[in-house]
Amino acid sequence: MKSLQLESILKGRSSQPHQLIEVLQDVQENYGYIPEEAMREISKRLGVPLIEVYRVASFYKAFKLKPSGKYVVTICNGTACHVRGANLLLDQAVSQLGINPGEVTDDGLFSIEHVNCLGACALGPIASENGNLGHHMTPAKLRKFIDSIRLKEREEVQNASPQH
Amino acid sequence: MPRLNTKEDLEIMGKQLLFDRGKVNKTLIICGGTGCKASRSQEVIDAINQELLMQEMDSEVHLRVTGCHGFCEQGPIAVIEPGNIFYCHITADDARDIVTKTLKNGEVIDRLLYTDPVSGKKIRTESEIPFYQAQDRQLLFQNREVNPRSIEDYIAIGGFSALAKAIDSLAPEEIIRSIKTSGLRGRGGGGFATGRKWDECREAPSDEKYVICNADEGDPGAYMDRCLLEGNPYLVLEGMLIGAYAVGATKGYIYVRNEYPLAVKHARNAVQQARKLGILGEDILGSSFSCDVEVARGGGAFVCGESTALMASLEGKVGEPRPKDVHTVVDGLWHKPTTLNNVETWANIPSIILNGANWFASKGTKGSKGTKILALTGRIKNTGLVEVAMGTTIRHIVFDIGGGATNGKAIKAVQTGGPSGGCLPIDKFDLPVDFDVLYEAGSMVGSGGMVVMDESSCMVDVAKYFLTFLQDESCGKCVPCRLGIDRMLEIVTDITEGRGTLEQLDLLEELADTVTQTALCGLGKTAANPVLSTLRYFRDEYKAHITDNKCPAGVCKALIEYSIDPEKCTGCGTCKRACIHSAISGEKKEVHVINTELCQKCGICMSECKFEAIQVS
Amino acid sequence: MLHYVTINIDGADIKAPKGSSVLEVAIEYGICIPHLCHVPGLSDIGACRLCIVENVTNGRAAVTTSCTLKVQEGMTIRSNTDRIKRLRHNIAELLVAQAPNSRAIQDIAVRCGVKKVRYPFRNDNCVLCGRCVRACAELWHANALGFVGRGKERHVERPLNMREEFCKGCDYCIQLCPMTITPCDGPMKTGEEYLCGKCESQLMITEEVPDSCAWCRLGEGFNCGRYAGLKAVR
Repeated sequence: MKSLQLESILKGRSSQPHQLIEVLQDVQENYGYIPEEAMREISKRLGVPLIEVYRVASFYKAFKLKPSGKYVVTICNGTACHVRGANLLLDQAVSQLGINPGEVTDDGLFSIEHVNCLGACALGPIASENGNLGHHMTPAKLRKFIDSIRLKEREEVQNASPQH
Repeated sequence: MPRLNTKEDLEIMGKQLLFDRGKVNKTLIICGGTGCKASRSQEVIDAINQELLMQEMDSEVHLRVTGCHGFCEQGPIAVIEPGNIFYCHITADDARDIVTKTLKNGEVIDRLLYTDPVSGKKIRTESEIPFYQAQDRQLLFQNREVNPRSIEDYIAIGGFSALAKAIDSLAPEEIIRSIKTSGLRGRGGGGFATGRKWDECREAPSDEKYVICNADEGDPGAYMDRCLLEGNPYLVLEGMLIGAYAVGATKGYIYVRNEYPLAVKHARNAVQQARKLGILGEDILGSSFSCDVEVARGGGAFVCGESTALMASLEGKVGEPRPKDVHTVVDGLWHKPTTLNNVETWANIPSIILNGANWFASKGTKGSKGTKILALTGRIKNTGLVEVAMGTTIRHIVFDIGGGATNGKAIKAVQTGGPSGGCLPIDKFDLPVDFDVLYEAGSMVGSGGMVVMDESSCMVDVAKYFLTFLQDESCGKCVPCRLGIDRMLEIVTDITEGRGTLEQLDLLEELADTVTQTALCGLGKTAANPVLSTLRYFRDEYKAHITDNKCPAGVCKALIEYSIDPEKCTGCGTCKRACIHSAISGEKKEVHVINTELCQKCGICMSECKFEAIQVS
Repeated sequence: MLHYVTINIDGADIKAPKGSSVLEVAIEYGICIPHLCHVPGLSDIGACRLCIVENVTNGRAAVTTSCTLKVQEGMTIRSNTDRIKRLRHNIAELLVAQAPNSRAIQDIAVRCGVKKVRYPFRNDNCVLCGRCVRACAELWHANALGFVGRGKERHVERPLNMREEFCKGCDYCIQLCPMTITPCDGPMKTGEEYLCGKCESQLMITEEVPDSCAWCRLGEGFNCGRYAGLKAVR
C-alpha cells in the first residue's frame, strides 16, 4: 500500500528535479515523515542525487525523518508568544510528557514541536495540536488538555479489547 | 462564469455584481481569519447559518465570511450592516440572539458590544472604535468587503480595474515611472525603491522573466502578509500581474510559508478562479499580455525569506543564499531576471495605478511614502494589525492605538523589524515609523512587526532570544553567521547566567560588527542588530548582570530566586500541584514553602497562584 | 579567444581574463589574499569569508568575497586596508577557536595576525569549508558526500549516513581537507587546546612586503590557491 501512495505522488514528475520540495511535502503529508525507501525512490525518479534528497529533507523544518507521535503538541515560540511566557508552556509539556522537542513518547502517542511563529500573535501564547490552535494558553490548560487525551486513549484501548 | 474578453466585459460584470449586492440590504460580516478561527469562529459561522435557515432569513441576509480584520484579540468579531454594529467575543450561543434581535428587529445586543479599555465605555459601531479610528486602513479595509473565496466580491468592489487600465492604456515604462514617483519602498524589510527595482529588471535583456511574491513572512510576531493573502488574495494577484506587465514577465510565483495552510488554500483558489475568468493565463482580458501564476509552499525555513534562498527553494534546492554581487533582477530564478516583492508591496500597486502616484506620495514622510501595516503585539491593551501612514510616531501607535500598558506595568521598549531589527527605549517613542529614521536609530521598520515590552522583559534575555532564533534558522554556510552568532550567544548566555565580564561586552560589540560586515546574506548581516541595539540603549541592564549579579527584570533564572510571601499565601496547594519539579511543600491551609535547591525557576507556580503570593527577587 | 579587462588591485593595474574572479587574478599576479574554501578548479561559494576585499564603486567601499566577485572593466579593489585586516583577523580567530586541531587553520590564524584567542576553545574536526563536498560533486560526479542539516546542525555526511556504492575511492576529499594534518606538536586533546603561533618565523618575508605572495610554508600548509594550482587537481 505504501508504494502505491508514493507512486501517485511521483506520477507526472519524472526527471523534474525542481519538484523535489513539492514531492517531499506530499510524502510528509501522506506518511507523517520521510521514509528512507521514499528518499531512494525519489532520487531515482526525479533524477536528483540521493545526497541532495537527503540534504533537502534535513534542511527544512517541515520534513521529519522519523515518525511523529499520534498527537503533535506544537508550541509557538514567536516573539509575541515568548514575551507572554511561551517558555512556561514548553517547560510544562517537556515535564509532563518526559520528552524533548523533536522526540516521541514511548507509547507513540505524543511528540512536541517547538516552532518559530504560527502567525496568530495577538492571541499568544499559542499551543496547537495537529493544526488546532489553542490561544491564551497557560500551563494549567495544557496540563488538562494532555491529561484529557491520555484519558481518551486509555478508554479507547479498554473499549477495543473485550476481554480483560 | 463566462470568460472576460475585454476591459468592458470586466466593467459590466463589476456593475452587475455591485447591483446584485445592493439588492440584499442586510449584511452580516464575520471574520474567518486564522486568529478568529483559533477563537472558534467556525462554530459561530455554522450556528449563524443554521439560525438563518431555521428562521427563513437566508435570502434577506447576506452572510459574508471574510479574512482577518486585524483586531484579533477581540475575536470572533462580526459587523452588521446597515447600522455598522460591531460585536466581539461572539460564541455559537449568541447566534440566535444576533439573528433574531439584531438582524430581524434591529436591536443592539449590549453584552456583545466592544468595551474600550481606555475609557471603559461600550462602543456601538465599527467606525467609532478608537483602535480603528486612529488608523488609515487603505489595504485592511478591503478585507471586510471581500469573501476571500469569491472573486465576484472582489470584482464587485472594482477589483482588477487597475489591471485593466494598465494593460489597456498604460505603457510599461509609464507604469514604472509612476511607481518611482510614488516613492513606494519594499514592505518586506529591505525598503528598496520598488520603481527602481522594476526598472532594472525591465532593462535586463532576456527572453524570460519572472515575478515572485514573497509570502514567507518568517519574522516571529508578524502576520500582516498572512492577513492580506488569506483575506484578499485577489489584490495581491492583481498587483503581481501589473508588475509582470511592467517588467515583461510571463510567469509568476506566490511563495507561501508552509505554516500558513489557509493562505496557501486561498491563493491557489484565487489563481484558479482568475484563470477561468481570463484574468490570468493567455491573452489577459483579450490583450496580447499573457502571464500565469503558480502557488508554491515553503519548507519551513526563515532564511527562505531572503530572496536568493527563496529562489533556490523554488528551484527545488536547499534555501541557501548566494552572494548578490549580481542582483537578482538581472540574475534570479533559473538565472533569469526576476522581480521579487513582498505581499504588501504588491498589494499597494493597484491603488497607485488607479489613484495616481501623487496620491500615494501625499501620505507619509519625505523618504517613506504611503501606509504600512504593523503587527502590534506584546504587553499592551489592544493588540492586532494596525495600518498607519508612514511618519506616525511610535508613541501614537503604542498608546493611542495600542491603548497603553496592560497589567499596570510600565512600558519599557518596543522591538521593531523582527530578528533583523532592534529595540528602542521609551524615550525614543517620538520617532516616526520611517525607513531611514528607524535605521539610524539602530532598528528598522522591517516587515512591520512591533512587539511592546514592559518591565517584566529583560533586554539581555531578549537579545538571547533573538540570537537563539537566528542560530536555529541560519543556513550555516558562512563562518561569520554560523560561528559568529554562536559565539555572541555564548557571551550573552554567560552574562545571563552571572558569568559575564566587562571585557566580554567589548568583545561582543566587536564581534557583532564583524558579523554585520562580513556575513554572506541579509540574515547574517542583520543578525547582530538585537545585540547592538540593546547594548546601545540598555547597557545598564547588561552591566547589572555583570557587576551586580542581578537581573533587574527578574527573568534570568540563574540570578533570581522564587519565594512564597507568607502574608499572602492561603495554603490552597495550587502551586504545589502545579510545580513540575516537586519543589514546593506545605500542608493544606498552611503557608507553603519553595525549596530553592530543587526550584528551576520555570515560573509555572507564579502563573497559577491566584493570590499573587509568589515573588521573584 | 580570451577577452581581457583591466582592474586595479591595491594600486596595481592588472590585465584579467573575463570570467575570472578577483581572487584568482590576485593569486596569479602574486598578491596574497588569505583564503580557505577556494580550490582552483572547483566552484567558489564564498563560505569562509577570509578572502574579503573592498570593492570601491562611486566612492563607497563594499566588503565582499573576492572568490565570488567576477572581474569587470575598471574595478577598483583594496585587499589590505586596516578594516579588511581587522575583519579577516576576527574571522580567522573564530575559525581557530572552533578547530585548533589543524595545522592549516593554525597557519591561517597566524597569517591573519591572530595573536590571542578571546573565545573558549572548541575541538571540532570539521570547519565546513565544503572542499570535500565540491570535489566529490564536481570532479567525479560521485555525490557520495554532502552537507546535511542546517545552521549549527550542518555537517558533512554520506547519503542516509550509510556507506553507499557512490564513492569511487578517488581520495580527493582526504587530500583537500584542511583538518587532515594535525599541528606540528601533535594532536590537541579536548581541554588542552592552544594557539600554536609557531610558524610566525615563516612569515618574516611576507611581513616586509605584506601583500605579496612569498611561497610561504603557511600557504603550503593550508593548500592555498598558489600551491594547489600547481598540483593539477583536474
